[in-house]
Amino acid sequence: MNNILNYSSNQLRISLSDASFKLEKIPEKVLQNYLGGVGYAAKVLYEELNEGIDPLSPENKLIFATGPLTSYQVPGGGSIEICFKSPLTKAWGESRCGGDFGPELKKASYDFLIVEGKSSQPVYLFIHDKQVEFRNANHLVGKKVSEKTRIIREELEDQDISIMCIGIAGENLVSIASIMSEDRAAGRCGAGAVMGSKNLIAIAVKGSDKLQPKNPEDFNIALKEVRKVLKESEFVKGLRQFGTIGDMAGNDAAGDWPTKNWQSNSWGKAEKLYDHYLKNNFVKNKMCYKGCPIACGRVAKVEEGRFKTPQHEGAEYESVSAFTAFVFNQDMDAAIHSTYLCNELGIDTISAGAVIAFAMECYEHKLISKEEADGLDLSWGNPEVLPILVDKIVQREGLGNLLADGVARAAQKIGPQAEEYAVHGKGLEGPAHDPRSGKLLAVTYGTANRGMCHIHPLEGMAYDSGKITWGMTPYGVPDPNQLDRWDEKGKGAITKTLQDGLIMPDVLGVCKFFMYAGITLEHYAKILSALTGWQLNGADLLRIGERVNNLQRLFNIREGIGRKNDLLHERVKSLPQFGLYHKEEKCAIKDYEGMLKEYYQARGWDSQTGIPKQEKLRELGLNLV
Amino acid sequence: MKVKVKLYTILKKYAKGKILGDGSIILKKVTTLQELTNDYLAIPNKIGIVFLVNNTPQDKDYILCEGDEVKIFSLICGG
Repeated sequence: MNNILNYSSNQLRISLSDASFKLEKIPEKVLQNYLGGVGYAAKVLYEELNEGIDPLSPENKLIFATGPLTSYQVPGGGSIEICFKSPLTKAWGESRCGGDFGPELKKASYDFLIVEGKSSQPVYLFIHDKQVEFRNANHLVGKKVSEKTRIIREELEDQDISIMCIGIAGENLVSIASIMSEDRAAGRCGAGAVMGSKNLIAIAVKGSDKLQPKNPEDFNIALKEVRKVLKESEFVKGLRQFGTIGDMAGNDAAGDWPTKNWQSNSWGKAEKLYDHYLKNNFVKNKMCYKGCPIACGRVAKVEEGRFKTPQHEGAEYESVSAFTAFVFNQDMDAAIHSTYLCNELGIDTISAGAVIAFAMECYEHKLISKEEADGLDLSWGNPEVLPILVDKIVQREGLGNLLADGVARAAQKIGPQAEEYAVHGKGLEGPAHDPRSGKLLAVTYGTANRGMCHIHPLEGMAYDSGKITWGMTPYGVPDPNQLDRWDEKGKGAITKTLQDGLIMPDVLGVCKFFMYAGITLEHYAKILSALTGWQLNGADLLRIGERVNNLQRLFNIREGIGRKNDLLHERVKSLPQFGLYHKEEKCAIKDYEGMLKEYYQARGWDSQTGIPKQEKLRELGLNLV
Repeated sequence: MKVKVKLYTILKKYAKGKILGDGSIILKKVTTLQELTNDYLAIPNKIGIVFLVNNTPQDKDYILCEGDEVKIFSLICGG
């Protein structure tokens, strides 16, 4: 590497249409303003995509973005962000994946990989340092993710090479298709369909470069400080021991567990389900990338029975919740099996569970007949139909073809009554957190640029119920212990600051959980300064986060997505229909519009249109974009 | 007064030496949930906590009664 150290400042631009590539240098000033990950990618997509393009056309671009801290040497640095215009939402699309792909791409000396055009035949890319090969992938089409990975490794005679590939869902242009890195997923927003539309089946990457900090001594001091924080963090111990699934029972108790297609925010069944998992399905924990000090991944299995499932990395909180609470299913084996299938076939577990829950409710209200359901019994909680529906969605077969484009478009096709059951934000199905557990989540769901996602609103319930501050109190975030989780006043303004701070892991190319473990913007600024020779502090990073959030917003505004789309579904605001909180009036959301107004004001956006005001754009240096 | 207390995930360690083998704890006086976590279990104040008493959500000001079954949760990362 050279130039700005750690940053190679290289982007590799791949043209699939003519099987060519070129290496481009990025100006230092641009990197200083946008860093990497979802920040630099927002600039590229805003500048290079024309308004209104079809996300599945060759005009769309797929950016694999590392960040300046993506590296095996930085704790949490096993990360890759994939950015594109979403075929599911027609809006800003991003999806993160943990694993070795990001660090390997960086070691191959590329910060960013920009994939353009469309290949005439299925291909896969082999990137090994400066060597880039376009390889025939006809023989990979129709294969599961694990098979594709195995075959490519055999062909390249390298069992260790890092691979990202689509599943059969991506090949079939399913709008909720994921891009997989073995058992890890870049799941949300339909990145897999964009990759499939380009006839790009997989990318294999390996590099041999090493990180060269500008100031090695300061770099080592900064990393030592971070490792000390991690060593003492109760969060690290907890996540390693219990995994993300360990929060199931607590979230159910907190009213943070959307159940039966959001009819309730709790169910009271999570403890029993978790106990079954622990006794029957859990095998061991696992690192998602080499050397991760948290190792939150779980290896799970179903030993026997009709849902028999081999050992695999899975059993994540979101995935399992989507196939239990969302669909009212009490059979944990069926949930483990279905999420395993989602990963093998390459669809987003969250959207898959959500769209099946939607179908079950439509079936209950006779908006989908048994005949239209291909003869299946879609009664609530029927475990037998879960894997069958996953396969039908992936194959776009029968009812699966209707569900393959997500709840919003399925409801449009079924008719107006179905809208009541289609819970989404900006077209993205909601994840397994409920703003009726704490009101901050309502604003984050309504305003997140990619829609109702589980990453950028993650800080909502963690602030209100978990009382976590991520070191953000110096920037005006009040002590959550001084606020009630049910309070609405003030939450709009807090959301703005938390969004700007907590987007930074996705800009820096690190796992967000490390901020939960106690790593702050100041820590990251020290590491980044030592790496690059730039002099940055936490406030500088917060400002970059604000710039990136505004630029992604501008991308959406240009696509006609603005104030009218900053919505929260009526069902999600309402008193739960059953469960632990069905009589708790405080959990219903009373003044969403008031919180949104407060948020716009804090953002410097026009209260009527939701468009960033000119003075705000000037302040952020975005007026010339 | 005797109440049953169950702690989950990262809170389990606060049970050691305080909760009896049968899952109960003896309270010497009228006690709220806040006092249970502060005075008896020594759970740090900064940790966000959710309570269920007899499987019903309760605030920290809830006054415990003989035979209550208390479940105490704290999130790890939120999931």
